[in-house]
Amino acid sequence: MAERGPTLLFSVFFCLLCYVFHTVASTKDEYSEELLIIPFRSGQVYSHFEFTTLWDVDFAQGGGGRYKLQHFRLFPRALGQVMTEYRVQEMHLTLTQGMWQQDKWGYPVTSAAPGAELWAWFQQEVDDVDQAWFGLTNALSGLFCASLNFIDSTSTATPHLSFRPQGLAEGLFSTKPSHLRYATLPRENVCTENLTPWKKLLPCSTRTGLAALFHAGQLYNTQYSSLGVHLRPVCRNDSCRDASLELRQVLSTVADPPATLNGKQDWSMKRYFSRSLSGPCPMAVTSRVYVDVTTNQTSSFTLKPEPTELKLTNYQGYNRKLAVYDLWSFPFHKEHGLNVDMKWKKEVSYKELFPPRLYVHRFVTGYGQEHGGIMSLLYNRHPYLEQQIIYMELLPWFTRMYLHTLKVETTEGNLVQPLLTRYTPGRDRQNPYLLEIVLTLPPDSTTRISFSFERAFLKWTEYPPDANHGFYISSAVLTTILRQADNFTVPPHMGSGLQSGLFHSSTEFPLRLHTETLLISLPTPDFSMPYNVICLTCTVIAIAFGSLHNLTTRRFQYTDLKKANSGGMRAWLAQLFGRGKQATSEDKLREPGKESEDPGEESETSEENDYIGEQRELVTPRVRAESDKKDR
Amino acid sequence: MAAHSGRNWAGLMFLCLLFVSVAASSNVEDQVGGFFKSGHTNNWAVLVCTSRFWFNYRHIANTLSVYRSVKRLGIPDSQIILMLADDMACNPRNPRPATVFNNANQHINVYGDNVEVDYRGYEVTVENFIRVLTGRLPPSTPRSKRLLTDDRSNVLVYMTGHGGEGFLKFQDAEEISNVELADAFQQMWQKNRYHEILFMIDTCQAVSMYHKFYSPNVIGIGSAQVGEDSLSHHVDPSIGVYIIDRYTYYLLEFLETVTPDSKKTLADLFRVCPKRVCVSTPGVRTDLFTRDPNTVLITDFFGSVRNVEITTETITLKRNDTAQLCSGSSCPGSRRGKRRKKLAYANQFPVEAAYEEEVTKPQWHFPMYFVAALSVFFITVVSAFRI
Repeated sequence: MAERGPTLLFSVFFCLLCYVFHTVASTKDEYSEELLIIPFRSGQVYSHFEFTTLWDVDFAQGGGGRYKLQHFRLFPRALGQVMTEYRVQEMHLTLTQGMWQQDKWGYPVTSAAPGAELWAWFQQEVDDVDQAWFGLTNALSGLFCASLNFIDSTSTATPHLSFRPQGLAEGLFSTKPSHLRYATLPRENVCTENLTPWKKLLPCSTRTGLAALFHAGQLYNTQYSSLGVHLRPVCRNDSCRDASLELRQVLSTVADPPATLNGKQDWSMKRYFSRSLSGPCPMAVTSRVYVDVTTNQTSSFTLKPEPTELKLTNYQGYNRKLAVYDLWSFPFHKEHGLNVDMKWKKEVSYKELFPPRLYVHRFVTGYGQEHGGIMSLLYNRHPYLEQQIIYMELLPWFTRMYLHTLKVETTEGNLVQPLLTRYTPGRDRQNPYLLEIVLTLPPDSTTRISFSFERAFLKWTEYPPDANHGFYISSAVLTTILRQADNFTVPPHMGSGLQSGLFHSSTEFPLRLHTETLLISLPTPDFSMPYNVICLTCTVIAIAFGSLHNLTTRRFQYTDLKKANSGGMRAWLAQLFGRGKQATSEDKLREPGKESEDPGEESETSEENDYIGEQRELVTPRVRAESDKKDR
Repeated sequence: MAAHSGRNWAGLMFLCLLFVSVAASSNVEDQVGGFFKSGHTNNWAVLVCTSRFWFNYRHIANTLSVYRSVKRLGIPDSQIILMLADDMACNPRNPRPATVFNNANQHINVYGDNVEVDYRGYEVTVENFIRVLTGRLPPSTPRSKRLLTDDRSNVLVYMTGHGGEGFLKFQDAEEISNVELADAFQQMWQKNRYHEILFMIDTCQAVSMYHKFYSPNVIGIGSAQVGEDSLSHHVDPSIGVYIIDRYTYYLLEFLETVTPDSKKTLADLFRVCPKRVCVSTPGVRTDLFTRDPNTVLITDFFGSVRNVEITTETITLKRNDTAQLCSGSSCPGSRRGKRRKKLAYANQFPVEAAYEEEVTKPQWHFPMYFVAALSVFFITVVSAFRI
């Protein structure tokens, strides 16, 4: 009985401790996964996956918007530790393959530049932003298997007008452009090795839920494929006195059924993702698939299976009908899961495509390898509204921009005066050229922005191994606020998740568009030249030098033929084989001074010399003995 | 009497048990002894493809074949450094994106769905390769790009590309010589960065690359002798180029038959491609290796020694399990009662603010030395005129 007392006390204390630790738990985090499928009028099908994790982190801990991440539950720890280490407030990374065709497909949910694009806002208290940026790019290159470590000062810029923070930017959070860094790598290619670590950041990975559809062979067999990781602080609730950390992982693809099916537009999950959905991710609060069936009246396709509900949305006069499959309430069969299947009755008819009100194209002009030009065409198709835009251009240092050649005019010839021009000149091998122009596009017009540049000579060590491929110029970025919803796939929004954007009514839509990347060729030397020169020089030296050496160091002597004949076996053999030469040696008698032309035949010349001439002795016996020694 | 026989039976039983336990313990001893035979505790692999351009598709396929085998036999991605100088899978010329096949009949997709390439494209240089081996990387290098071996690590180094006598070409721009490679391995030895190395190379005149090795515990396997070319296996008409080299094709075929508990030895590996199929003569160098290759298991280099306990227990995940979560003020350590300022999103179109900033800035700004110099100039001019 006496023993039980302390043990009882200990067990009670232990239970209490457990209970205490049980309640001292991680802060609330929420995960939701959504998929949006939109068939375009041109026959392609757009699939956009969005995986959002919202974490109620305490931001005010260290001051200056610094957060401390611990007790990771749904938020990926690998990414969280990188963000804490380099004190990142907001980060956007996209890896894209292909070009989004604005005039055919409208606007994407999130626009991305071809290649790799990374921009980050650092916390207010960070003193050395460049050091933090350098560390961040290297850490991300290891995390996503991309060559982001090639981002250095020659490809990094600090835009002042474009790329404002998409997350909170008041009070604790920095808004000064000095804390922003932007860089792109247009040469970067995207493949399964980027998808693999990206998939592993998801709470359910690819075991179940929407991420189970990821099969690399299908995802990269598309016209456009983009991976994105977006991290930002957001309002926790409507009163917005607290902030949460939002991580948004995005995967967009545009598949082309008519190209692979000979004109037929039929699309199904099994065909384009190689599998069907078997259930939601257990960690997800919402798990939904939205299919845009607005065009069902006009194009008439049948959608199978039956959606859990049909929702109608309306913004700014645009009606949209969405079929919603809620994976938590969908009756899943044991054998086959959810396979969204769209079958069209007719072949794709390539209807007249209506491009959006605002879109942009860019291309290189000029010829030769010394100068060139870039021209951008900005289309504003609205009949009566003008549009204010910010146009940002980032040129590498080896295309030296001439600002005085900048011309902004409409195609009719009317000059458009920019409201603001912000130019940061570049420095050779150090900084790129950054140009930001604010201008107003007149209604129903095409505005031309053009300027010329000069191509630089690179040092021969600065060329990449495939130098003749050319060099890339990253895409230009157009930022604007549209006051009329127009051809939006999902209106850009400040809320989290697709549902806050799809069922959203606002009067202002911030929009970002990317143009094409450009490929230019710089004056490239012929790298095989040193090899060719060495070969040629060595041949010339071998032939000329050899001959000259023979001429200057060889002496020709005459010997007695009779003496040579009485040499015994060796001399008899020599005579046997030398019989063919006797005729030639007699010829040579007439030209005593002729030297041998072949420098390699030194032993033979001495033999020939033995048979040349009889009585003539050009050298004294003493010298002859010496030269004999030299020859042998 | 019964008690006496009972005691006999007990004694017999005891003796039986004794024998059985002795036999069992000798088994246990053998097992325990087996743990310490090979001498290594972890496995690493460095797989390098040094060639760029579409017509060198086969070199990427070679490296990925070995990657696939090594992963299948147990070495995790965190202990594999894969260096591919070009991207074939998502190359615009590839008719089957995100796949690299070793066979025209698409038997094995060696690229797979779970590949992690550590060094790719322009990052595959001689400098990076030697830095990875010797560990002398800049401090900003992430962990997945480092070779974190110790003195009990067995390292498999596989290289493929275009080579010549005594050198291997990297990306058509530079080359590594056999002397440099030998010195890199010696640096590794002096820094205790490996227990044993298996060096495999599939290039033309491959054996010349291991001629200069002088560090202990290194085995070299080359696919062709000096003066011989290592040949490729076959063309895939839809791709248009040779898709795999002979030596690695037969090596992969052999490795597909190896399982993680296989007892095949290095002697089998040396015989994987005889001259009649390979056309070139593979070479082997074992003089620096202390153990007898006939007793060394293939999984000592291609597999992995790891302590993994697999459980068959299942955990049911519940939807929206927020029982153990706190939020906002209910979290311990949060600031309670403090009036927090209302937060807001940034203005995405800050043109007005920027415009004002531009306008309020002074248009002209003269530095002090300019003003001083100008005043000095005017004074001298005025005084000169006066005089």
